[in-house]
Amino acid sequence: MTDRPILEHAVTRRAFLAGTSMAGFAAFLAACNAPGAATPTPGGATTGPTEAPTEGPSAEPTEKPSPAAELNFANWPLYIDTDDEDETKHKTLEDFTAEYGTVVNYSEVINDNNEFFGTIRAPLEAGQDTGWDIIVLTEWMAGRIVRLGWAEKLDLGNVPNYVNNLVDVYKGPDFDPNNEYHAPWQAGMTGLGYDADVTGELTSVNAYWDEQWAGRVTFLSEMRDCVGMALARLGYSRTDVTTEQYDEAIAELQKAVDANIVRAFTGNEYAEDLVSGNVVLAMAWSGDIIQKQYERESLRFTVPDETGTLWYDNMLIPKGAQHKYTAELMIDFVYRPEIAAQIEAWVNYICPVKGAQEELAKIDEELAASELIFPSDATLAKVERFRTLTEEEESYMNDQFSALIGV
Amino acid sequence: MFLRRHRWIVPYALLTPGLLWLAAFYVWPAVQMFVSSFWSGSVERGFTFSLENWTTYPDALDRYSTQFQRSVLYAGAATILTFMIAYPLAYAIAFRGGRLKNLLLFLVVAPFFTSFLLRTISWKIILGDDGLVFGPLKTLGFVDDSFRVLATPIAVISGITYNFLPFMVLPIYVSLEKGDQRLGEAAEDLYAGPWRPGGTIAGAIASGLLFALLGVAFGYSVPIMAAAGAVIGAVAGTLFLSEGFIRVTLPLSLPGVFAGSLLVFIPALGDYVNAALLGNPGTNMIGNVIQSRFLVNNDYPTASALSFILMVAILVAVAIYARLLGTESLTEGRRL
Repeated sequence: MTDRPILEHAVTRRAFLAGTSMAGFAAFLAACNAPGAATPTPGGATTGPTEAPTEGPSAEPTEKPSPAAELNFANWPLYIDTDDEDETKHKTLEDFTAEYGTVVNYSEVINDNNEFFGTIRAPLEAGQDTGWDIIVLTEWMAGRIVRLGWAEKLDLGNVPNYVNNLVDVYKGPDFDPNNEYHAPWQAGMTGLGYDADVTGELTSVNAYWDEQWAGRVTFLSEMRDCVGMALARLGYSRTDVTTEQYDEAIAELQKAVDANIVRAFTGNEYAEDLVSGNVVLAMAWSGDIIQKQYERESLRFTVPDETGTLWYDNMLIPKGAQHKYTAELMIDFVYRPEIAAQIEAWVNYICPVKGAQEELAKIDEELAASELIFPSDATLAKVERFRTLTEEEESYMNDQFSALIGV
Repeated sequence: MFLRRHRWIVPYALLTPGLLWLAAFYVWPAVQMFVSSFWSGSVERGFTFSLENWTTYPDALDRYSTQFQRSVLYAGAATILTFMIAYPLAYAIAFRGGRLKNLLLFLVVAPFFTSFLLRTISWKIILGDDGLVFGPLKTLGFVDDSFRVLATPIAVISGITYNFLPFMVLPIYVSLEKGDQRLGEAAEDLYAGPWRPGGTIAGAIASGLLFALLGVAFGYSVPIMAAAGAVIGAVAGTLFLSEGFIRVTLPLSLPGVFAGSLLVFIPALGDYVNAALLGNPGTNMIGNVIQSRFLVNNDYPTASALSFILMVAILVAVAIYARLLGTESLTEGRRL
C-alpha cells in the first residue's frame, strides 16, 4: 500500500533527546537563553493549553463518565503518524475524535526530558494542573515523576487493551511494578552502529576499546547509554548497577579517552559521521541506523552480545490533569493493535504493543519483519534498562560523567 | 517648543529605548543569574537562596580552570587569526575595491544568510577525514592516511575564525574607508623610506603572538613556536608593510581593529557550538561547560556562577585592552 519509502520518515527523534545532543537546535536555542531561563518560572507551564475543565470525568465517579470535549497531549516531535500533505493532520488522532468526539490538542513541545520537566515542575509541586492530560517522557524521567507522586494512577479497568497488549519486557519496571502509572509509547535500543565494510561484523562491546579504529569511534553523550556499554564490558548489569561498579565503568571509559580512541561524545550527529565515513564505529540508536542505511548501505546495527540498552518513552497522566478519564481512553486507544500499527508504520521505533506486528504486516510486510522494529525475544533478551536512580545517585553519576566527557 | 526650551532632555529621550531594552534583557537576566548563583538545592527539591553559597564561585573556578584557559587561548588565537586575514582583505576592499566594492562587501557578509549551526556543520563536510580536502590529498599520498583535522583544536580554532571573520572585516573596512588616503601618500612623500623597521616589528609581534598561542593550544614548545612565528612575521612585515602604512594608515584604523577584535573575542570566548561540533573531549570550552551544567545536569547555581565569572572577566579584560590600545575616546564617548 505504501509506495513511498516509509523509512524516509524514520525519525531522528533522539536528536531532540536530552540536553547532551548539542546539534539539536532546540538545545542550542535553549542554551542561548541560559541566563534568562535560570529561574524555573511557574509561568512556564501556562504556555500549555489551560482551558477550563469541561464536564469533569470525576464528576460522577460511580458511573462511567463520558469523554471530555478535548484532550491536551504533549509529545516529542515526529513521534506520531503524520499526513504527507498536511503536517498538522494525524490520522490516529482523527480516528480518536471520530470515535469519542474528543478534540485532541496535540502539541509537539517536548524536546528534552530535563527541559520539559522544568516547565511542569512548579505547578506539580504546588499541586496545580499542568495543563496537560498526557505527557510522554523517557523511562528514567517517568520514574522520577512517579517517585515524586506527580502522576495520576491509571484506573486499569479503563485501559483493558493496555493491560492485555503490553509486551512483556516492559512489565513491572522498578519505578512502577504494577504498571499503574505509565504506559510505554515507543522504545529503542542502543548498540553497535558500524560500517561493516571497514570493521567487518561486530558483536562485542569490546570493539569500543579496540585501538585499531582510534579516532574513528564516537561514544554517546547520553550518560546511561554510554556508561551502559562499559558496564556490559565489565560484566555488570544496568539493572542493578552499584556506585562502585559505576565508578569502574567510568574508569574504563576514561581508558578509551586517554588512548585517543574516542573521537567525540555526541548526540545523534554520530549518524552523519558514519555516513560520511569519518567514523566507523559508534554507540548508536537503532532508529537512526535504519534510516541511515539508505545513505550508506554498509552500515549495521547490532545489539552487543554482552547486552545493549533498552530505553523507552512513556505516556503519563500528570497529577491534577483535567481530563483523566479521556486520557485513559487515549492510552487504551493506542494500545489497539491496528492503531499501534498505524503509528508504527510512520514512526519506526520499537512498538510496545502485542499484535501490532500482525496488523502492520497487512500494511507493509517488510517493515513488520524488521528485527529493529519488532525485535525477537532473542534480541530483547540481550537488552536491559538502566535502573532507576535516586536523585543523589543521578547527580553524582552525571557529575562523574561530565568530568569524563570534558565538561 | 518644549524641546527647544529643555534641550537637556533630548539625549536622554534618545537613550531611553536602548536603556529600557538593556534593562529588560541584560540587566534583569544578569541580576537573576547572579541571584541563582547563590542557590543550593536541586530541580526536584527546589532551590533555596543563601549567601553562604558563595563557595560555588571558587569551586567552579577551580574545577573548570582548564576550560576557562582553553577558551581564552582559542578565542585569542582566533581573534589574531581573523585580524591577520581580515586586515589585508578590508584594506584591499577599501583601497583597491573600485567598482566591485559593494559586491566584495556583500560576499563577506553572504555566509550570514545561512544559520551559524549549518555553517559550522558544513565544515565537517569540507574537513571530513576523507572529504573534499583530505580525500584527494590522501589518495595522492601527500598526507598520512590517519591524518585528520576534525576533532582537533585546529578545527575548533578554524571554525571560530571562520564564523567570526566578518565581524573583524567590517569595522576595519569602515575605519580604513573613512580615513583620508592622502595622508598615507603624504607620509610617503615626506619621509617614509625604503627601510621598514615598523613593518618588521609589527609583523613579528602579531605573528609571534599567534604562533605562541597556537603552541599552547596544541602543546608544542611555546618559545620555539613564538620564535618561528616572529621570524615569519618579520619577513612578511618587511616585505609588505611600508613605513607610511605603519605610521599613518594603521594607527588611523586602530578604532576599527579595536571594535573588530572585541566583536570577535567576546562571543568567541563564550562560544560552544564550534567546540561541540568540531572538537573532541579535550577541546571543550567554558561555553560547553555552562551548557552542560545548565541543561544536562540542571546545576543552575554552577552554570550561573560560571556565566557571571565569564562576564566579569570579559569586562575587566576589555577595560585593560581599551587602555592599552589607547582608544579610550571610543569607549568614553564625547560630551553630548
